Amino acid sequence: MYEIRFHGRGGQGAVMAAQTLADAAVRSGFQAQAFPYFGAERRGAPVEAYARIDTSRIRTKSQVYRPHLVVIMDASLVELVDPTAGLRPGGKVVMNTTHRPEEVDLGAGVDAECGTVDASSIALEALKMPVVNTAMLGAIARVWDVVPMGAIVEAIEDRFGSKLGHRAGILNAEAARMAYDATAVGRTIGHREFAKERRWMPVWDEIPISVSLKKTVHDEEEVGPATTWQHRTGRWKWSTPLYKKERCIKCLRCWWSCPDAAIVRQDDDYMRWDLEYCKGCGICAEVCPVDAIRMVPEEEGGNP
Amino acid sequence: MRSMKDVPREDILTHGHGACPGCGYAVTAKNIAKMLGPNTVVYVPASCLVVFGALYPYSAWKTPYLFTAFENTGAVTTGIKAALRRRHIDATVVGMAGDGGTFDIGLQALSGAAERNEDIIYVCLDNEAYMNTGIQRSSATPFGAWTTTTPAGLEVKGNRRFKKDIARIVADHDVPYVATLSVAHFTDFVRKVQKAKEMRGFRFLHCLTPCIPGWRIEPSKGVSINRLAVETGMWTLYEVENGVPRVTYKPKVMAPVTEYLKLQGRFKHMGEADVRTLQAWLCEKWRANYGEEAPSPPCVLPPKEEVLAHDGDTLYGI
Repeated sequence: MYEIRFHGRGGQGAVMAAQTLADAAVRSGFQAQAFPYFGAERRGAPVEAYARIDTSRIRTKSQVYRPHLVVIMDASLVELVDPTAGLRPGGKVVMNTTHRPEEVDLGAGVDAECGTVDASSIALEALKMPVVNTAMLGAIARVWDVVPMGAIVEAIEDRFGSKLGHRAGILNAEAARMAYDATAVGRTIGHREFAKERRWMPVWDEIPISVSLKKTVHDEEEVGPATTWQHRTGRWKWSTPLYKKERCIKCLRCWWSCPDAAIVRQDDDYMRWDLEYCKGCGICAEVCPVDAIRMVPEEEGGNP
Repeated sequence: MRSMKDVPREDILTHGHGACPGCGYAVTAKNIAKMLGPNTVVYVPASCLVVFGALYPYSAWKTPYLFTAFENTGAVTTGIKAALRRRHIDATVVGMAGDGGTFDIGLQALSGAAERNEDIIYVCLDNEAYMNTGIQRSSATPFGAWTTTTPAGLEVKGNRRFKKDIARIVADHDVPYVATLSVAHFTDFVRKVQKAKEMRGFRFLHCLTPCIPGWRIEPSKGVSINRLAVETGMWTLYEVENGVPRVTYKPKVMAPVTEYLKLQGRFKHMGEADVRTLQAWLCEKWRANYGEEAPSPPCVLPPKEEVLAHDGDTLYGI
């Protein structure tokens, strides 16, 4: 049996990728299953999806803990989770990154055959949006020879075609082909020691009865009330607000409507954006009555 | 506090929480918390607010915060208030439940607390389905809406039942204050929260909170879409103070419901017959709420687009 684990971010299509890979495996005569990790379904959050492929009927229904193949759809996930956890000896890794396999460091102890591809650029070129799942499938076919490329293309055309329209099927298959050609195959050897997660979790007898948990510091990290400031949610954004102070009439609507409390109302009632926490939703630009706020792509940069 | 200008600068629900970009739920909770001030105890049952607001041991709340099971909002807030009373602490107790935790699962505890006239504020943040667990239908889901448990099939397209009028059910418990809020109607919102804050006894605030992935809307519409909800009659702004109902904002003319529907992917599959059914229901609601007949506005269906994956795929976007 082959077990595959996909690591992606909500919105990148990890589940569709797992389903399409299973679909392609069935087309080439295997039995297969695919399913997502059960958890929060928020955009941008780290998510997992799994697939199993076998020649006989698969009775295992659990999540994949010891994968033969790990697919990392976003390079920044390496800092957040341990994607190669449980990777079997001889297992393979496919990663969306601009680097070559030899330059990739997945942590000390990792020594695996690795395929890297700049799937984000390919997806933007082929699909005009950063949904990398089909490009990653092309890269998988290059690195891993169990499911042939022909079956994957067929599965993509069929699956995406029937769900998103014929043209979407063709474009996604094209993304897979481009990724197949662009994938660099090599070996990755990890050296970096990632800090072990040492999350402090107070148990019931550490908190006195009828007293709420006070803000305290553990392992250089604050816990307790008002401690989420340590989560820089500003990294999620793809567009950023541009504020023209001279146009602002101090109506406060943007300040009121910001879901993330990322707009700071200053003493003179003009606004300041806390881009560390702004998720770039664009509500402030939408509610502004005088067009003092405009959303611009992140690369162009907003102003604080 | 009479208008937005008087709302304090200090945030109680602080930044760094994990809500989706553009979350209407977070805007509403943030503003209510801000107005209630630091001398507050917050209780949240299972809902999005648990997942994004506080994941043990971190919390986005500056105030004491408690979370237990789904159905307990009425009961737990009662208990918190009793404990504070026993210890001679004068603090506001607020329970912020979602629509599932209010309309369906928490209804018995809500009814009990309302009937006993407990001195708490009950906030229902209504995003019209069980959004946190992946968009399942609740009894707050409007007619015709797509959810994963009311899919747009070949025969039946979307939810077949109309939204339950929970505010009226709570008002029938003879509680001191019941109000419906929309975060896009700023002054009305501030006035109602302030009124609830100053009163004693059971106060119920029912807020419409747009959900970006569940309603299939643009993140930037997370607040402004509420205006259309009120203009089309899908949401009515009123308050019931000591048994006296009063409409606090009435649109001049009724906007066709299609104006509201066409912005949302969850209504995309709706056919002409369903839209007409919904419009007729809205006209009846308009008459009941505003006390006047509304001529049915012409509903122009937007041109049909190709059916997209998320109309059927429960796991789209993961």
